[in-house]
Amino acid sequence: MLDSDNAAFILTGVSISLASCNPGRLPSMSRGLGCKLIDDGRQVTIFLRRSQSEALLENIRSSGGRVANVFSLPSSNRTLQLKGSNARIVPFAAEDIAVIDGHIADFVLEVVPLGMSEAVVRAILAYQPDDLVSVVYSPSAAFSQTPGPKAGAPLG
Amino acid sequence: MTPRLDTIRECLEGVIPGHIATCDAEGIPNLAYLSQVQFIDNEHVALSYQFFNRTRQNILAHSPVRLMLTSHLTGAQYRLTLAYLRTETAGPLFEQMKAKLAGIASHTGMSEVFRLLGSDVYRILAIEQVPGPTVAPPPPVVNYLTALRRATGRLAGCGNLERLLETALDCLGSEFGISHVMLLMHDEGRGRLYTLASRGYPQSGIGSEIPVGAGVIGICARERIPIRIGFMTSEYGYGRTIRDGVEADGQGDSLETAIPLPGLPEARSQMAVPITAFDRLLGVLYLENVADLNFGYDDEDALVAFAAQLGLAMHHHQEAEELVEDAPGVEGSTPAPAGPPLLVRHFAANDSIFIDDDYLIKGVAGAILWTLLTDFVERRRTGFTNKGLRVDPRIRLPSVSDNLEARLVLLQRRLEERAAGIHLKKTGRGRFSLSVDRPLQLVSG
Repeated sequence: MLDSDNAAFILTGVSISLASCNPGRLPSMSRGLGCKLIDDGRQVTIFLRRSQSEALLENIRSSGGRVANVFSLPSSNRTLQLKGSNARIVPFAAEDIAVIDGHIADFVLEVVPLGMSEAVVRAILAYQPDDLVSVVYSPSAAFSQTPGPKAGAPLG
Repeated sequence: MTPRLDTIRECLEGVIPGHIATCDAEGIPNLAYLSQVQFIDNEHVALSYQFFNRTRQNILAHSPVRLMLTSHLTGAQYRLTLAYLRTETAGPLFEQMKAKLAGIASHTGMSEVFRLLGSDVYRILAIEQVPGPTVAPPPPVVNYLTALRRATGRLAGCGNLERLLETALDCLGSEFGISHVMLLMHDEGRGRLYTLASRGYPQSGIGSEIPVGAGVIGICARERIPIRIGFMTSEYGYGRTIRDGVEADGQGDSLETAIPLPGLPEARSQMAVPITAFDRLLGVLYLENVADLNFGYDDEDALVAFAAQLGLAMHHHQEAEELVEDAPGVEGSTPAPAGPPLLVRHFAANDSIFIDDDYLIKGVAGAILWTLLTDFVERRRTGFTNKGLRVDPRIRLPSVSDNLEARLVLLQRRLEERAAGIHLKKTGRGRFSLSVDRPLQLVSG
């Protein structure tokens, strides 16, 4: 589902957002602090702050793991949406802190040249290690959402 | 505590894109980034509809909507729960969003891609601040309440229109800290705006014109709403390129093009605010700056409130100049001017006036000047009244609603700016006098 180009893309300094809906179709979403690919790229792990994601995590549980996940690179507007229907919430693995810190560093390098305040960016992505949680899913669909006439086109 | 939307409006400027989440009928979520969110009031926002995508399909299928906004000043994040109400494809809200989107598109390299198809209006059901650290916002540059209080106090003390306009522009500089500003008056009959005063430019541009509907200023006038753009965009220039287009459309014969519009070629932030009174458009205040996002929602609110005060005062002074008339003063006999004659040429086709072959003005102001000079030369008349001009058949004023006093100010300033040797001076309410430095020689055609 995820070709090597898009697999590499989501590991760069992209902004990450994850959403899921409650039984009444009301969605909730949170910013991701980074991601990693596991299972030979067949599964995506997104790192979230539990304190910011209570409704999202509840929606993931109640919807049977239906998620929408967007990755967007501010400097190019390149945007990718993945969807999954088997998302599960797993404890955060301490060794993944390095992935998060690497992602934050990449994101700062991406947006500070665009005029963003580094202090603000770091506040947006600030975390407490014991607040972290991981969501793992297998992408079942991918869409280009780069703005333009082809936005929304399915990939792969 | 639920934050009020009017206290977090910096989140809507598009610096950090919003995220919109929807859900289809089968319960599959969809997430997309948003270029623009427009504040309507504390219960309503509008989102830009640019493409018919999954978000759009879900909204039309009655999806509940969640929006995540992030402040680029504090890092605070907010989740808004929204219910879709309607889509507007024309009118003030649409034009405000279209102009703003043009700036955002240009800023993000999306000028050929972003095009506003509609303004989707939503009711806000809830606003929740996402827990997390924030940084202190930078201190405001201006305390707008103080600026407004002081500025409106100064406007109230002005005894005539000319003083009012001068004071208004002075206030924008000294109280509001705005360094580049133009005040344009509405010429209702001709669908034009003419520059009556400006600050911050090498050339004042007094007398220059722009059609209603053209560029930031013209659209502000047509829709009678503030237009605010935070990034440089060629789509909403207001200068020569727009006027070139108008001339190509065949309207150029009536547009004042000999006097260049002032303006910053590198303006990144632009804001135009209508000046109205009793449902009539009197003019437009135009402000610009070379910095991105120099004008925000608070600036817009302050300037709209200021323009409302200014509009009422302008209306009052216009009425006063025409309804009230001070008794004529004692006119001393002025010695006849000496020296070589000043050649004043009038072309009746468009009422243009040339002084010693230099273009001065045309249109209504040209007709007024020609009438005054004719009476001066033929009857040695130096005292005139607004009432008299209003009914003078030689001038053909567009309508009673036309701001005659503003045209006199325009004429007076243009004469002084060109050092034409002809002077108009107010001698009382509704009354003014003409004097010349040299003998006049009037030539028709």
